Amino acid sequence: MSTRADAVRPGAVIGWRPRLARRTAALVTIGLVALAVALVAGVALGNVYVAPADTIALVTHRLLGWPVEVTWPASAETIIWELRLPRVLTAMITGVGLALAGAAFQGLLRNPLADPFVLGTASGAALGAALALVVPVQFALLGFGLVHVSAFAGAVLAVAVVYRLSRLGELNSLTSVLLTGYAVGSLLAAGLALTMYLSGSHLRQIFFYLLGSFSLSSWPQLAVGLPIIAVGSGVILTRARALNALLLGEETAAHLGLDVRRERLVLLGAATLITAAAVAMSGLIGFVGLVIPHLVRLLVGPNARLLLPLSALFGASFMAFADLFARMPGELPVGIITAIVGAPFFLYLLRRYRSGYAL
Amino acid sequence: MDASHTQAPRPQPVRGFSIALLAAALLVGCAVQPPAEPAPTPANLAAWPRTLTDDEGTTIELAEPPERVISLSPANTEIAFALGAGDRLVGGTDFDDYPSEAAALPDVATFTGVLLEQAVALEPDLVLAAGNNFTPPDDIERMRELGLTVLVVYAETVDEVLSDIALVGQALGADEQAADILSGMQARLAEVQAAVESVPERPRVFYQIGSVPEIYAPAPDSFIADMVALGGGEPITTTDPAVFSISVERLVELDPEVIVLGDAAYGVCPAEVRTRPGWESMTAVQADALRPVDDVIITRPGPRLAEGLAALALAIHPTLDLQPPTDGAVLCAEGSLAR
Repeated sequence: MSTRADAVRPGAVIGWRPRLARRTAALVTIGLVALAVALVAGVALGNVYVAPADTIALVTHRLLGWPVEVTWPASAETIIWELRLPRVLTAMITGVGLALAGAAFQGLLRNPLADPFVLGTASGAALGAALALVVPVQFALLGFGLVHVSAFAGAVLAVAVVYRLSRLGELNSLTSVLLTGYAVGSLLAAGLALTMYLSGSHLRQIFFYLLGSFSLSSWPQLAVGLPIIAVGSGVILTRARALNALLLGEETAAHLGLDVRRERLVLLGAATLITAAAVAMSGLIGFVGLVIPHLVRLLVGPNARLLLPLSALFGASFMAFADLFARMPGELPVGIITAIVGAPFFLYLLRRYRSGYAL
Repeated sequence: MDASHTQAPRPQPVRGFSIALLAAALLVGCAVQPPAEPAPTPANLAAWPRTLTDDEGTTIELAEPPERVISLSPANTEIAFALGAGDRLVGGTDFDDYPSEAAALPDVATFTGVLLEQAVALEPDLVLAAGNNFTPPDDIERMRELGLTVLVVYAETVDEVLSDIALVGQALGADEQAADILSGMQARLAEVQAAVESVPERPRVFYQIGSVPEIYAPAPDSFIADMVALGGGEPITTTDPAVFSISVERLVELDPEVIVLGDAAYGVCPAEVRTRPGWESMTAVQADALRPVDDVIITRPGPRLAEGLAALALAIHPTLDLQPPTDGAVLCAEGSLAR
């Protein structure tokens, strides 16, 4: 009975066992190393060759102000500093955001198929972007155009409508929320299809928006998107306790003293904000928000205290690597890469750890 | 369908009405009514730095004739080569196919858009982009932010193709070559016009842009519809400038007398068209007036357009008294290969 005594010793957290602690430490290490490798590779590699020595000299020169002799062409500086670095960082922050938003939606809706786009975000953002591309008025400010603004607005509005219609604020069935999200999403998707049908020469742009890309990332864009995603991510990370309680069901959570309505609203708001900012910056990048949280759950279990930070960590490096694979051969849409690389790996994990997996 | 040479119908972004364009149009005149040929004055030939206004109304400044040029559309590539500036091209698109040496240029534009790293690394003095969303507008903006000089070229009509050739000629400092090309094209266009005017018939023409999965036709007032009209036909169009597909019902009702197969280069030939259900009632099918054409020279807004118009006019009126085009592939004939 000694194992049992171990499990209930004072201070023990439910689900926290020495083996899990070791595994978590290993995963954190792997995640940090992967992130560092993704950052270095993302800056060093691209569809144009820049000598590694130049890259290192250039980055230390710009970052630390070291008085290095300028041996590189001006174009190399533009490529590394204006194109690759903001791009890698945007991919990382988007990966963090989408993974956390996915984890939040899955916990909130207690549905393993939930992802950041489940409540109509994707269709809302896509319709907003498509309409903005088709209307003959364009403006741009700090790297943000009408497309970004209206994609953001479309995503937020779609969720707001679903929230109002499904009375998610009340203690009722989650099924109705999901179905409302599905119905609103379908309606918006029909609007998108109609817009695409009538879009003429804009069709190609809308099509590639739907597949997602980081090719237009820039410092000004990152400067606007980063704070939004950072705040949303911070809010979700501090809501681990609420997410754990919600997994037990709304009633039980309420009996545990959780203000279910408020927590739902906070989580939903944060996840929606993140998703809207992510789609506004880089289009619809699927799979990351669905699969990264599941992957982490398979490895460490459903405890949100582990799930959330690890999802953020792996989301960042996964997205940075996916973007690297997308731009090495030219400019493939990154959404294709996330699915091609991610799906087989996820299937492998699913088969290996199948026993006893639950949300 | 190869998007590279499809002149799409256009719900238009606001297009700057540019003085340079007007000037170029005056210079070049109208293809259909040949104008007085203006002699280029030495002053406008020699003047560097030059300030040019592109087809979107953006003003660019060129200190001297550009030595490193990137073309982001097959039409611009053709124009640059025709102007004798092919050796100054350092980057092109992955759909460049004419002249054959253009295919070897490093690809900067692909179907997805512009490879920005490539565009920057090639250190161009001038980037020739294509408007009407052929070069994604976001990419154009980003290239300008990164300090590149981008000239956006975009023709909606045959006349504007001519003025674009003049504009690119000014940008590349090849004004005389541009004037030569233009006078050649104008002469050929006038020839086609005279030949077309000599026959009174204006058959109803369906120019098939594509047929998989739906049937695609020119939109009203689109470039292809204009080309059909200039080639002596009455174009059958879709219902709206933003709609490409046309129903077979509408086609049967409008009853084309000639069907021009603009997708012949992609393997669509008369034999297959004849077997389509419902098509046997059309006059064109009964009269066997199904005419494959090489769409590249007809739809690509470049220096071969006059030959393209000649090819189209001959497809509509096979007995026309007109020199056959010097360019374009023979398609669907015995032994010919689809590209």
